[in-house]
Formats: sequence, structure tokens, C-alpha cells
Amino acid sequence: MIVAERKPFDEILEMLAPQKRVLVLACGGCVTVCLTGGEKQADELASQLRLAARQKGMDLTIESDSITRQCDREFIENLKADPGQYDAVLSMACGVGVGFMSELYPETPFLPTLNTTFYGANTAPGAWAEYCRGCGDCVLAWTGGICPVARCSKSLINGTCGGTNDGKCEVDQEMDCAWLLIYKRLKELGRLDEYRKIRPPRDHRTDRGRGVRRLVHEEMVELEEEESQA
Amino acid sequence: MRDGDLTSRDVAALPSTCELMEREWSPCRHACPVHADVRGYIEAIAQGRWRDATDLIRDNLPFAVVCGRICHHPCEANCRRRDVDDPLAIRELKRFVVELQGAEGATVHKAASQDKARVAVVGAGPAGMSAALDLAKMGYRPTVFEKFPVAGGIPATTVPKYRLPREALQIDIDWICAHGVELATGLEIGKDKTIDDLRAEGFEAVVVATGLAKSRLLPMPGADHPRVHPALKFLTDVSFDHPVDLGQNVLVVGGGNVAVDAARSAVRLGTGRVRMMCLETLAEMPAYEWEQQEAQEEGIEFIHRRGPIEILVRQGQIVGVKARAVTRVFDENERFDPQYDDSDVIELACDTVIMAIGQAADMGFVEGSSLRQDDRGRLVYDAATQQASLPGVFACGEIVTPPGSAVEACASGQRAAVAVDLFLRGHQIRIDDSLPPEIDSIAEDTAEKVINVSREPVEAVPPQTRVKTFGPIDKTLAREAALRESRRCMNCGAGAEVLVDKCAACLTCLRVCPFDIPKVTDVARIDSSLCQACGMCIAECPAGAIIARGWDARGLPARTSAALASAASDGHAKIVAFICGHHASAADWRGESEVVAGVAEVYLPSVARLSVSDLLAAFEKGADRVLVLACHEGADRYPQATRRISRRVDQARQLLAEVGLDPDCLRMLELPDEDGEAVHPALVAAVETLPAG
Ligand SMILES: Cc1cc2nc3c(=O)[nH]c(=O)nc-3n(C[C@H](O)[C@H](O)[C@H](O)COP(=O)(O)OP(=O)(O)OC[C@H]3O[C@@H](n4cnc5c(N)ncnc54)[C@H](O)[C@@H]3O)c2cc1C
Ligand code: SF4
Ligand code: SF4
Ligand code: SF4
Repeated sequence: MIVAERKPFDEILEMLAPQKRVLVLACGGCVTVCLTGGEKQADELASQLRLAARQKGMDLTIESDSITRQCDREFIENLKADPGQYDAVLSMACGVGVGFMSELYPETPFLPTLNTTFYGANTAPGAWAEYCRGCGDCVLAWTGGICPVARCSKSLINGTCGGTNDGKCEVDQEMDCAWLLIYKRLKELGRLDEYRKIRPPRDHRTDRGRGVRRLVHEEMVELEEEESQA
Repeated sequence: MRDGDLTSRDVAALPSTCELMEREWSPCRHACPVHADVRGYIEAIAQGRWRDATDLIRDNLPFAVVCGRICHHPCEANCRRRDVDDPLAIRELKRFVVELQGAEGATVHKAASQDKARVAVVGAGPAGMSAALDLAKMGYRPTVFEKFPVAGGIPATTVPKYRLPREALQIDIDWICAHGVELATGLEIGKDKTIDDLRAEGFEAVVVATGLAKSRLLPMPGADHPRVHPALKFLTDVSFDHPVDLGQNVLVVGGGNVAVDAARSAVRLGTGRVRMMCLETLAEMPAYEWEQQEAQEEGIEFIHRRGPIEILVRQGQIVGVKARAVTRVFDENERFDPQYDDSDVIELACDTVIMAIGQAADMGFVEGSSLRQDDRGRLVYDAATQQASLPGVFACGEIVTPPGSAVEACASGQRAAVAVDLFLRGHQIRIDDSLPPEIDSIAEDTAEKVINVSREPVEAVPPQTRVKTFGPIDKTLAREAALRESRRCMNCGAGAEVLVDKCAACLTCLRVCPFDIPKVTDVARIDSSLCQACGMCIAECPAGAIIARGWDARGLPARTSAALASAASDGHAKIVAFICGHHASAADWRGESEVVAGVAEVYLPSVARLSVSDLLAAFEKGADRVLVLACHEGADRYPQATRRISRRVDQARQLLAEVGLDPDCLRMLELPDEDGEAVHPALVAAVETLPAG
């Protein structure tokens, strides 16, 4: 899932500065699960903003609401507040939600309260770590399930590099060398043959090379069209 | 979605989440014959809200004092706490609060206008008075006719005073009568007036609630001797201080509660030796175990498995009872069917016999009316409609139910009132007796996680002292003990519910619950029969997807505002103190303790329920400083509560710092010990540590 972290409070305050009536909008998806952008966090931010406004003598009205996901059109029906009625909406969603909602409400600025940080997993209560970078050309089949694109500083696909250092990465002594991890894992699996293969360069067109990436399931598109004609 | 799943829309439609309490009942309430809101009134006691507690009790139970003293308390037998340590002392808590409040301290819900039909009730026992009360509340004009000079039925005329002091019982009668129930005592129906007379006088319905006033007797040689006393007559004579002819060696025949009452009364009258003889073994005896025990402490001997066949009289004096051996009491189907061994006969020396082998109805009220009786002399009656054989004549209580308890008689009377109302409004009498399901017993692995707290003992008067008088045999719980006892209640059924449409399956609830209750499958689900209602998951759920049935968390900001407003501070800093009330005094809870200037106190059943938002909201509501007073670790109501709240306070302090507020404006401290008196000194000291306003 997508993991995000809250922006510094001052940055949020700064971005909404000229606005008077602001809605803090939680997202019930990934950011709720990673305890950053759920209804609870929206209420907390709203409370903080009201306190700050009082403290600084700002004329600011803050309300809050939540939505199941900010990345699906249909859920906006469930909103109690109408985003269009506000000077701005502080979105507690990841960047996807902010962008998508901005399209749905072209008149209303949707401002991000989070920095969308990575695709990760919950490694322990309260802790998340990056596992994938969404490169569009998955290599996990021959890396023992450890992603070198996400976890190697250089995203190498033929590691290790010369900078591996007692199991740590030369970029950061705290960081495990992803390729050493891959090596160990493949050894455990008895698949060091995979490690010995030299991989051709990755196809970067599936990554950021060709602009906005899209997914279309033709079978669903057709069905929707038929329905709208009926 | 599964059956019974709750969504945010369902809850938005409710005036309060507390309505959800009706989905399932706690077993204490379920088992109570009048279905009193046991959990509700125990919580009110825990918070020192004596009047609320009393009103909640009396909403269902008119004979609250009587039952506080002598109820056989099926609630306690079913209390889920029995699987943790000991059941709640529900009866003792009731006794404490209803007697403390008296008749004046309970709200009287009089009908707006009492101008509906007149209804005659025959018999002022628990059944008749309960029927009359409910009819009066509905606006009818009931008059209760009672042959004795006092109202209250068996509890007033027969139950020994050492178990039920009459001035205590009078509280119930006074409170009932305050609703517009007329009493006509010293008037026997069937003798002074007939049921037909009552109809002719304009009573549009009659409720017969005459109980079982007679003791059954056994025909045998010597049974007509004047020193053979029917138990009920004996107890009534004792109760009214009438002289009774008692020798020095009494044999009570019978093994039930009435027999024990008779034997213990005989002991108190100064009889040398008192023995009880019954058909049953100790284990089979119908008398409650505690009654048996107390009787034995008072020197009463039990003779088991014997049945009397002759009362031996010599020269006009009883000298003994001949008794044969009993080979069995019940048949294979557990039906009463005693068998005897006539070759095994003993003689038991005694000079007085009290017969306590069962009760029978006095059918005198039928005289002069055309009410029908069946071939065994019982009143003809339809249990579904509670109607007797004449239109407009109803029956309730022990005259038509098997002998039972006062509270069951109340329930029967209340049902009769419903039937009378339907009848008088010209409706068909159809009463829905169905109940909501009851909550399951607590699972073993959950029970193990509940912090054990032992039941408050009731102080008994020592046997050597108590046998000398008809004074009470035990003491009412002291106030502090009542508070401690009530705080043992696990709030069954008041706990968490997931709003499935909001749940993101984040697993937070599962991780924070100290009892391991939530399970996350497609969404989180919280088994209400296991939840301990601590509220920790509610405070932590990022989706706001959990609510509590028993308390509406949405109400806290309003409470905080109200507390701030009433702690009007001239020049003082405005401080909100959220206080764990688990060890606080009753006066603290009621806001009657000495105030610390400028401090708005908000007591909570546990601070485990406070969320970060609640803490920030207090500042928004106008607090300059916020204090959280938690019980010290290990003394809080729920495992880990203090550690959890301390983390939330840290988080809230960070959020305040981001805003540019001094994080020291929010402080948490642990109360030094468990004593209710500790809250105020701690508060005073804590206020001093806060940054100046
Ligand atoms: C010795 C004894 C001890 C008991 N102990 C307990 C206990 O510890 N706990 C408990 O829960 N229950 C106890 N019970 C049972 C409890 O008292 C009864 O269940 C309850 O009183 C039944 O209520 P009732 O209203 O049906 O009848 P009653 O209480 O018998 O009331 C009937 C009333 O009708 C009056 N009456 C009868 N005929 C007429 C008439 N013709 N005209 C006018 N008035 C009439 C009677 O005088 C009486 O006042 C005890 C019973 C006995 C006998
Ligand atoms: S613990 Fe409380 S709510 Fe639960 S059964 Fe016992 S008295 Fe009732
Ligand atoms: S904490 Fe809330 S959102 Fe998370 S699983 Fe539990 S109920 Fe669902
Ligand atoms: S955390 Fe408390 S309220 Fe929530 S499920 Fe567990 S026991 Fe119930």
C-alpha cells in the first residue's frame, strides 16, 4: 500500500494562508492504514489549525470530513461536506487523492497535507518500510523477492557494486546492501544460479520514461458504455 | 456485510449510541424477572449518582428496598463476572443505594392526569402493588384492598424482621403510593366486600393478587394439637408481635426457605432447641445454601430424609414426632414423589411442631362472586391474558403462579397491568413476552486478562449476637465499599462496535486491545460478548470506525465545555482536568468535592477512553491548561491503560508544540494511591506544576 507522512505543520499553515474557509478531508484508504491521513488524524490537524488560528489571530474556519477513498469518483456521494463550498480543501490523502480530487473539483484548490513517501508494508505495529518502487517491470522473480530497484541506492539489477561494505551500503552506513540481502536469500533458496546470470538493462519506458502511466481493462470499459447507452 | 453489522449511517440516525444497548442484554438484566437495567444502575452507583441509580432501579422494580434485602438475586447467579472471580454483589448495591435515598430520594413519575377508569386490586403484596403502580402511571385510578392493616403482602406480614426491617419496606410502599395508588387496608374481599360489590361500585376492572397466605398441613394423629403451628400463621404472629405458644424443644417440619425462617424465628423467641426435619438430604433441600448455613450458625440442627407420620401427644402435651425414613424424594423425571421405608421409624422428642411443608391459597375472596375454581380449588385463569373466568377480572402473583419470589410477583403484577390496560381500551389482550438475546458468557482467555478484584464482603452480625433479637442479621455496604464493588462491573454489552463502512482493516484495534478482542477479517469485528468496554480501540482507531454502545463519545467535548463554564474562573487560568474516576469518591463524581480554583474537573470511568483529539479539543473549548490524572500503573481499571494514555499525552504535546503552544500546558500524572481522597491533593499539587497562565 501507499505510505505517506504528515507534512510539517508550518508548511501546511503556510500553504493555506490566504484562505478563510477550509475543509480537512481524510481518506479512508492506505493513509488511514498507515495512521497518517485517517479521520482521527484529520480531526487532530483540524484541531491544531483552529488552535493556531486563534493563537495567531487568523480569520480561519476549519471543518473536517472523511471519505472512503479519494481516488474513486463514486465515494464523493458519501461526503457530508461539499468541498466546492470551501476556499480550499486540505487533503489528507496521498498525492493520488489530491490530484484526483482536484480534477473532480476544478474550482477548489486541493492542498496536500502529506508527503507521499513509498509503497510499503507494515513491518511492526506503527512501523512501515518500502518494498517496491512501482517500476513497471518487476524483477522479484529472480531476486528472491527483494526489490533492488526500491532497496538498492543505485537501483542496480546486476549487484552488488563495489560500494558494499560489511553488508552495508556505501551511501548510508545504516542501510543494508540490498544485493547482499538478495545474495543471502537466493542462497537460502538454493537459487544462486539466478544470481550468476547477467541481466540485460531494464526497460525504463515502463517506469517514468513515457509520462503518465495508465491501465485500461477493455472488458470493463465496454460494459460501462453499454450501460450508459441502455 | 454480515447480519447485525453496523454502519455509520445506522449510528447517525440514533439520538445516542446508548440505544444500541437494546440489541443484546447483559445476563444480569436478562435474568432479572423485571429486567431492571442492572448495568446501568451499577454504573450510576460507581459514579456516585445515587438518585439516578435509584430511579433506574425503580423504573422496573417497585419493591426495590424489599428486593435489596431479600431477593434471591438471579442477576448475581448469572453475572458474567463469576467467570472472572466473583459475581457482583448486585443485591447489596441495590440495598445500599435505595435505602440511602429513601422514598424522597426517588423520582415519582406521576401520570400527567389520572382520570382513566377505576381499577380494584385485591391484595397489597408485591404483585398487587406493582400492578396498581403501573396502572396509576398509565393514568388509571387504582385502589388496593388489603385484609391486613398494612400493605406489602408477605414481605410486610410474614418475612422475618431480621431479614427485612419494616421501616425499610415502608420506603417502597410510600414511593408506590406517591403515584396515586389508593390503599384500603383492613378490608377483606369475600368477607367485608365481594368482587361483585367492587364491580357494582364502579371499578371497571379487578386484579386479584391475594397470594398464598396459608400453610399446607398434613393430616396425621396429633396434627390438631394447639402447639402444632402452621408456619405462615406462626411467622405472621411473630411479625405482629402476637403471643405464640412455643415450648422449649421445637421441631420444624420442612426444608425450604419458609421452614428456615420459622426455625430461625423460633430461635430468636428464646426456644432452647430448634431442629428442622425434612425429606431431603442437605444437597436436595430447597432452602438456599446461604439460608442453611446461617441457620446452622444459629444452632439449628437438620434432620434429613425423614417424614412425619404421627405427632405424639401424652397427657395433653406434645412429646415427640414419629418419623419414617425416606428412600427417595424425586422420581426419575425429577418430579416430587417421595417414597418411604415404613420399617424404619424413629421418635424425635419435641414439645412444639411448626409445619412448613408448603403454601396454599386462601380462596376467601371468591365468596359472593361467580369466579370459577377448577376441580382442585384453583382459580380458573388464562396465563396468556391473565384473565380469570369473569370479564374484567384479572389475576397475578402467587395466587396463579407457582410459589416464587417477590420480584417474580412484581413482574406478574406488571404484566397484569398491561393486560388490564389493553382490556380497558377495548383491545385484544396480546402481550409480547419476547426479549432481546442475552450476551454470551465470557470466554476463558478473555476472563484471564480481566484484572481480578475481590468482591466486597458483607459484614454479618455474629450468630451469638443476632439470635437474641429480630434486628438485621447483616449490615448495608458502606459507601466506599459500594463504590469499590460497583466498579467491578464489566459493563457487559456496553462495549465497542465497528462501523463496517468506515473500517480500513488497519489492525490498530487488534493491536491496542488489552483483551485481544477485535478480529480483523474483511473488516474488524468486535465480539460484544467479550469486549470489556475499556474504549482504548475507540481512542486509537484512525478511521473513527469504532463507537461504544454504552456511552456516546461524541458527548465529551460538550461535557468539557460545560465543566469549563461552571468552573468560572475570575482571573485564574482555565484548567481542564480529565480524571480517572475509578478510585475517586462519590462526591468527586458528582462535582460536590471542594473545588480547586479555576479547574474544570471531568471524571471518566477510565482515562483509557481519552483520545488525542479529546485532549486538543479541551484547548479549543477554552482551556489554557489540561491535566490528565490517571491511576498509577497497575491500579487502573484496565491493563495498560496508563501507559496508553501517557503515549497519547506525549503525542498531543507534540502537536501542541507544532502549533506554537507550550507543550507543558498539557500534563499527565499518575495518582499516588487508590484512595478516593487522593484526587484533590494531587490536583492541587499538579496545578502548581503547570506553567503560569
Ligand atoms: C416466609 C416467607 C419468606 C419468603 N422469603 C422470601 C425472600 O426472602 N425473597 C423473596 O423474593 N421472596 C420471598 N418469599 C416469597 C414472596 O414473599 C412472595 O413471592 C410474594 O410475596 C408473592 O407476592 P404476591 O403479591 O403474589 O402475594 P402476597 O405477598 O402473599 O400478597 C398477597 C396479599 O393479599 C392479601 N389478601 C389475601 N386475600 C385477601 C382478601 N381476600 N382480601 C384482601 N386482601 C387479601 C394478603 O393479606 C397479602 O397481603 C417468602 C415467602 C414466605 C411465605
Ligand atoms: S459484570 Fe456487570 S453488566 Fe456484567 S453481568 Fe455482572 S453486573 Fe451485569
Ligand atoms: S482500528 Fe478502526 S480502521 Fe483499524 S481495523 Fe480496527 S476498526 Fe478498522
Ligand atoms: S480495546 Fe477495549 S473497547 Fe476495544 S475491543 Fe478491546 S476491550 Fe473492547
